[in-house]
Amino acid sequence: MKQSFVFSGSGGQGIMSAGITLAQAAIDMGKHATYLPEYGPEQRGGSAKCTVVISDEPIISPLPKFCDNLIVMNELAFAKYGEDVKEGGILLSNACRIADPGEPENVTVISAPVDDLALEVGNPKTANIILIGILIGATDIVSEDAFRLSLEEKFKAKKPEILEMNLRALAKGLEIGKKYKK
Amino acid sequence: MGEKRFMKGNEAIAEAAVRGGCRFFAGYPITPQNEIPEYFSWRLPEVGGAYVQGESEIASVNMVYGAAAMGTRAMTSSSGPGISLKAEGISYLAAAALPAVIVNISRGGPGLGSIQPAQSDYLQATKALGHGGFHAMVFAPNSAQEAVDVLYDAWDYAERDRNPVLVLMDGCLGNIMEEVELPPMKELKDEDLPEWSLTRRNGRDWQGNITPIYTELILEGINAAAGDMYKDWEENDVKVEEFMLEDAEYVVVAYGIASRVAKEAILNLREKGFKVGMIRPITLFPFPKKSIKNLDYGKVKGVIDIEMTIPAQMRDDITLQVMERCPVYEYGRSGGCLLDDEGVYEAIYEIVSGGE
Repeated sequence: MKQSFVFSGSGGQGIMSAGITLAQAAIDMGKHATYLPEYGPEQRGGSAKCTVVISDEPIISPLPKFCDNLIVMNELAFAKYGEDVKEGGILLSNACRIADPGEPENVTVISAPVDDLALEVGNPKTANIILIGILIGATDIVSEDAFRLSLEEKFKAKKPEILEMNLRALAKGLEIGKKYKK
Repeated sequence: MGEKRFMKGNEAIAEAAVRGGCRFFAGYPITPQNEIPEYFSWRLPEVGGAYVQGESEIASVNMVYGAAAMGTRAMTSSSGPGISLKAEGISYLAAAALPAVIVNISRGGPGLGSIQPAQSDYLQATKALGHGGFHAMVFAPNSAQEAVDVLYDAWDYAERDRNPVLVLMDGCLGNIMEEVELPPMKELKDEDLPEWSLTRRNGRDWQGNITPIYTELILEGINAAAGDMYKDWEENDVKVEEFMLEDAEYVVVAYGIASRVAKEAILNLREKGFKVGMIRPITLFPFPKKSIKNLDYGKVKGVIDIEMTIPAQMRDDITLQVMERCPVYEYGRSGGCLLDDEGVYEAIYEIVSGGE
C-alpha cells in the first residue's frame, strides 16, 4: 500500500514536524517513507508545506501533485492546494482558520478545530500530534500503538508532563479520526 | 549490513563524506544546502577533523586548496550562486592537480534566483566550472542513498586523477528525508597520504611544490594530459542506469530528482501499454554518450529530455548522440517550481500518444 500526505499551512503551525513525525513513525514500523519540505525565505508566518509518501515498497517519486491525504491549516494553504486531493482521499481542514472547506466529490472532509483542541490539551505546539492522531484514526497507515511507542521514545528524556500532554493530543486526534474510519 | 538511518539528503552527504575520509570542510551559508556545513560543524571535530565557516565562498574554496595540498581529504559545498563565486578556486584546484570534492545543491537561477530547488546548473557543472577549459567528474545521484555511495568514494576518484570532483544535486534531494544505509568509516593512515602532498606528518621530508601557474610548454603538456584523462573517463568511468530500454519506442533522458518523477510516470505509462524507457546519467561528465548513441533507432521514435529547469540544459548533449535519427523533445519546470508526477506523466503521454 502506498499513501501520500501533503501538510500545508504557515511557518510555526507545526507543519514540518507533523510530516517528519509521521514519516519517522512509518520508518519505525518497517515501512518506507520520504519527507520533502518546501518553504519560503521567511522564518515565521511564510508558507510551509511538506509532502510525505509512505509505502510498503521502496518509493520511486517523492513528488506527487495529487495526494491521498491533504492537511490544510489555513485559508492560504486551502486556496493553494485545496483541489490537490485524490478521489477517495481525505481533506483534513483546520476549522479555526478555514470557515468552509466545501464538499469535494468523493473526498472525506474532516473539519476539526485543531488550534482550539491544541489549546485545550495545553499547548498550541501539540497541533501536529492532533493532526497525526486524526490521520491514524481515519486510515491504517501507521498503527496507533507503534505511534504511541515512538512518542514515548521521543519524549523520554523530557519531563513526564510533556509526554502526557502529547499522549492527550494523540487521544483527541484519534477520537475524531476514528469517526471517519471506513 | 551497514547502519540504517532516516536522514536528510544534506546530512547524509556530510556523514558519508566523513566516513569516506573527509577531514576538512570550509564553506559559507546558502540555502538549500545549509545542513551540510551545520552537520560538519559538530561532526568533523568528533573525528579529529576541522570545520571552518569561511568569511566568503572565495576564502572557503581556497582553504580547501590549502588542505588538499597537505594531502587532507577536503570538501566545500554551496548552491549555484556560491559555486559561481568558487569558480576561480575550483579552476586553481584543477590547475594545481589537487583532489577535492565540491557539492552543489542547486536552486533556481540565474543570479540569486530563488531558494527553491531547480536543476539549473547542468551547463555550469559540465561545460565551464571555471575558466581555462578544464573538467571535473560530475556525479548526479538521485537519492539520499546514492548520494551516500557517491560521496563515500568521491575522494578515491579525486586522488586517482588529482583533480576536483563535483557532486551536483538539487534542493529537493538536499532536503528530502529518506532511509540510508551508511558504510563503515574508511580508516586512512598517515602512510597512505599521497606522495605529492606537502605534509610533514609521519616524519616526511619536504616534498616540493604545488603551483597553479606554469610556463607555456609545460602547460600545453598538462592540457594535453587532461584531455587524455577526460577520454579515459569516457571509456572507463561512465555511470548510467538504463531502464526498460529493450522494447522502448520512446526514451526519456533524465538525471537526479527528475529521473525519479520520470520513472514513476514511465511505470504508469507502461501499464497503459506505452513502450517508454529511460536513460539516467549518474555521471553527467563523463556523459553516457554510448547509451544514447547506440539506441535502436529502428524502434525508437523519440527521445524526451526531462529536467527541472527551462530551457533544458542537457538537450545539446543528447542531440549530439541522437544525430537527427529521431526527434528530441523536452519538458521541464523551472525557477523553483517543482516537477510532479501528474505533470510529467501528462507531458510524456502527450508525446507518446501522438495526440490520440
